[in-house]
Amino acid sequence: MEWKFSNWKLGAEYFWNEFTLNYLMATYSKTQVSILNGIVMGGGAGASIHGRFRVATENSVWLFYLHNVIVVCRLLLAPYVFIRDIFFKVFAMPETALGLFPDVGASYYLSRLPGFFGEYVGLTGARLDGAEMVACGLATHFMPSERLTSLEEALHKVDSGDSMVVSAIIEEFSLLPTLKEKSAYHRVRNLMDFDGLRLLFTAEFLFFKSLLLCRLDIIDRCFSSRTIEEILSALESEADKSKDDWLSLTIQALKKASPTSLKISLRSIREGRLQGVGQCLVRDYRMVCSVMRGKVSKDFFEWEPSRLDLITDSMADSYFSKLDDDNWRDLKLPARSNLPVHAIAKL
Amino acid sequence: MESSSSTERVRFRTQVLARHLHQHVPSQSQSQSLRPSTCLSYSPPELSEPFDFDTKAMRKLMDGHNLEDRDWLFGLMVQSNLFCPKERGGKVFVTPDYNQTMEQQREMTMKRIGYLLDRGVFQGWLTKTGPEAELRKFAFLDVMGIFDHSLSVKLGVHFFLWGGAIQFFGTKRHHEKWLRDSENYVIKGCFAMTELGHGSNVRGIETVTTYDSNTEEFVINTPCESAQKYWIGGAANHATHTIVFSQLNMNGNSQGVHAFIAQIRDTDGNVCPNIRVADCGHKIGLNGVDNGRIWFDNVRVPRENLLNSVADVSPDGQYLSAIKNPDQRFAAFLAPLTSGRVTIAVSSIYTSKIGLAIAIRYALSRRAFSMSPNGPEVLLLDYPSHQRRLLPLLAKTYAMSFAANYLKMLYVRRTPETNKTIHIVSSAFKASLTWHNMRTLQECREACGGQGLKSENHVGHLKSEYDVQSTFEGDNNVLMQQVSKALLAEFVAAKKKNKPFAGLGLEHMNKACPVIPSQLTSSTLRGVHFQTDIFCLRERDLLHRFAAEVSQHQVQGESKEYAFIVSYQLAEDLGKAFSDRAILQTFIEAEETVSAGPLKNILGLLRTTYALITMEEDAAFLRYGFLSRENAAAVRKETGKLCSELRPHALALVSSFGIPDAFLSPIAFNWVAANSWSSVQD
Repeated sequence: MEWKFSNWKLGAEYFWNEFTLNYLMATYSKTQVSILNGIVMGGGAGASIHGRFRVATENSVWLFYLHNVIVVCRLLLAPYVFIRDIFFKVFAMPETALGLFPDVGASYYLSRLPGFFGEYVGLTGARLDGAEMVACGLATHFMPSERLTSLEEALHKVDSGDSMVVSAIIEEFSLLPTLKEKSAYHRVRNLMDFDGLRLLFTAEFLFFKSLLLCRLDIIDRCFSSRTIEEILSALESEADKSKDDWLSLTIQALKKASPTSLKISLRSIREGRLQGVGQCLVRDYRMVCSVMRGKVSKDFFEWEPSRLDLITDSMADSYFSKLDDDNWRDLKLPARSNLPVHAIAKL
Repeated sequence: MESSSSTERVRFRTQVLARHLHQHVPSQSQSQSLRPSTCLSYSPPELSEPFDFDTKAMRKLMDGHNLEDRDWLFGLMVQSNLFCPKERGGKVFVTPDYNQTMEQQREMTMKRIGYLLDRGVFQGWLTKTGPEAELRKFAFLDVMGIFDHSLSVKLGVHFFLWGGAIQFFGTKRHHEKWLRDSENYVIKGCFAMTELGHGSNVRGIETVTTYDSNTEEFVINTPCESAQKYWIGGAANHATHTIVFSQLNMNGNSQGVHAFIAQIRDTDGNVCPNIRVADCGHKIGLNGVDNGRIWFDNVRVPRENLLNSVADVSPDGQYLSAIKNPDQRFAAFLAPLTSGRVTIAVSSIYTSKIGLAIAIRYALSRRAFSMSPNGPEVLLLDYPSHQRRLLPLLAKTYAMSFAANYLKMLYVRRTPETNKTIHIVSSAFKASLTWHNMRTLQECREACGGQGLKSENHVGHLKSEYDVQSTFEGDNNVLMQQVSKALLAEFVAAKKKNKPFAGLGLEHMNKACPVIPSQLTSSTLRGVHFQTDIFCLRERDLLHRFAAEVSQHQVQGESKEYAFIVSYQLAEDLGKAFSDRAILQTFIEAEETVSAGPLKNILGLLRTTYALITMEEDAAFLRYGFLSRENAAAVRKETGKLCSELRPHALALVSSFGIPDAFLSPIAFNWVAANSWSSVQD
């Protein structure tokens, strides 16, 4: 279907503001506490993840399909308040990994997760629960949602912006997520059905742990590969060795996603790993504008180009270059001088 | 009371919020009156130093190839604890822990190699051929050298020397047997060429090999202490196999130097019988490489272990070689050393980039002394003298970076016809670039003051890590003499056969001698035409003088060898002149690929700075009258101007190096925070 987002510049303005806000938050010296008591994705992820403290609960779900925000723009510029509804519709169809790439500075924070977990999360759109978010560093704390009210009251009461003080208070309400939730992957939980069990230091625990380590190891081995094609073939050769259906789900997720999305998302994460958050947002802005203008890829109802090997380097390059349009400018972030160290090292 | 204080509070909050929303920045005069004594704080140079050209495009021009591959490898290192990530001043840096013992550093180098091996970095390093595979390999080696010289040297020995020897000296049977296992590190190779008594003079090595036709084996021997193999990277701890360079003695006739494969350790790491190994001990740098010594006591290796691309021995002991001339045979043997010289030249320039990026970033954030009482202290790089110290080195580094790329391309696209050019250009560039690197690092170290002395800040420490580059794979002075010798041979051949010069960039010798204007204006000085002319004039004149001096000695009845030795002053000047001219040419060629715009302008500025600084620094221009005293003064005056014109671009120029922040050092960024009390507490 020939469809092109006609008024992409309105969207560009929206992203200009959003990314500027992300940058201010990422470099904010005041202590920000974000409570992730629900779905964390897209703009919401951007608004929380750059802050100092991110408190996850049993209700937290990390969703980062490729790519949600784009869907919104294309469906038309809904005011922010509607975004949630659209998201829910999108995610009601989990097989539709629509869109393009993790933005809002995701290339900065995903690339800084341990090992190559960021590539895994960013490319497969894996869902993470609160405990997993803590384990990989996307969240800083975990607590049951029933404690949130008391946390807010306590924070109110001390009325301090000192990050040490705030940290101490959050610590007070936090707990280490229970074992089953510590799983970095859903499949293990489903397969073993550990629901409701605490299995510290039992034989099951040890078995469980070795499975986990083994998975993280597989993620590191496969998702550290140089290209998407190599990541896929590494996963496929792992799948040949073991009958873990987490592996086949992961492979499926990659195969269903837009080839263009995969290519540029991987490249964005790889570039982001070596850059500051500001540079990452500038790149995200270039990419999001290219995507909205839709000159290179026409992903919408079916992938175009449809195969990884049809995407040339120069096609991928175009997402990372300045747009050739007279009215378009690179994102210009506000100067932030004299930043204390804690304001620039949140992840 | 109560209400007035709450109104106060409301007003105060409103003001705070308003300032917040408007991003209120107090003006300079206000802040000065309000803050009698402010603490020094770090201000990122990015805030005050806008980029006038596209640094990404510049990086592409500088790195030249495999940019995404490079970033991938940088990322692989940053993500692993094996590369010792440490947080300093809000940023993560990776660097080897040089405080570890020599043994620990060696083990870390091996572990890092193992990690990169598992990640597929070395795939195709020995089993794939062609320019594409070679460039990928070179790009990765560049990147690993940026992390640690020990890592790249250890890899260089295994892949380029051991692997290269098998590829180049070996034939099909060797390729099939050894290359794949080497690529996968089933076999760890080393390269035993240098001896205690013989380094650059490989032809003089004393290790002797004979052939036993009864068992169809070669027998390798270390006949005396000066014949012990020395500085053999990998020999002290890890290598399982080695290439042995040895005189081949067939029935009492010496056939010259040949290369053999010998096993020195078993798979468990035990030294093999008849092999003795000792450590070279702690060194001034490169302690992550296990340099060792080897003695061979009648070590027997199968006949097939002779690397037989140029000469072979039949089972019954007949010596067979297609190349009858032992000199030519010897030259063929040295081919793999060319790749070593290419990678050394390239890596020395990346190291200069590290030093300059650190020293220049520091000079853009560190202040010292005020111009007026109570005035603000001045940024180091705003002092013209500091500019003069660092910016010409920056321009030279740019020039030599293009030279290094040219050399790399020359190498990967080699044909039998280009071998001589590669040999000469790689010799000249290896010497020039590594000397430049040592000088740059010393200047950068001093420019960073006391901070330059801390190992964590790299610049000082890199000096001892890279010092070896002026010695290994050919002593710089010896290489430069070879360059002059080769140029003289070209000269003699052209005169004898009365044929025009062709190749090595010497075509300018066929044209009329360039004339330098008696009065040099600024615009003349900045022109490509003048710069090319004077560099060519210098090379041409020195070549004539050198030829004349050598032949004068010969006329007096001296031998050719003696004539060379006593003409060393001109030989040295000529070698430098050739190298500088060739570098300038590669710069001009790189510049030509860029279309008009800010990028081309800055390249022009850098090229002119390179050319004029070279003229200012090398006494030959005045000594032989290529520049008059007036013109030399004009050049000097212009270099000062050029430095101040480069100053606004300094940050953009070092940002274009493509070296991620994590591979620089704490003083390149927030050095106040990196040294704060709270950082000590962590």
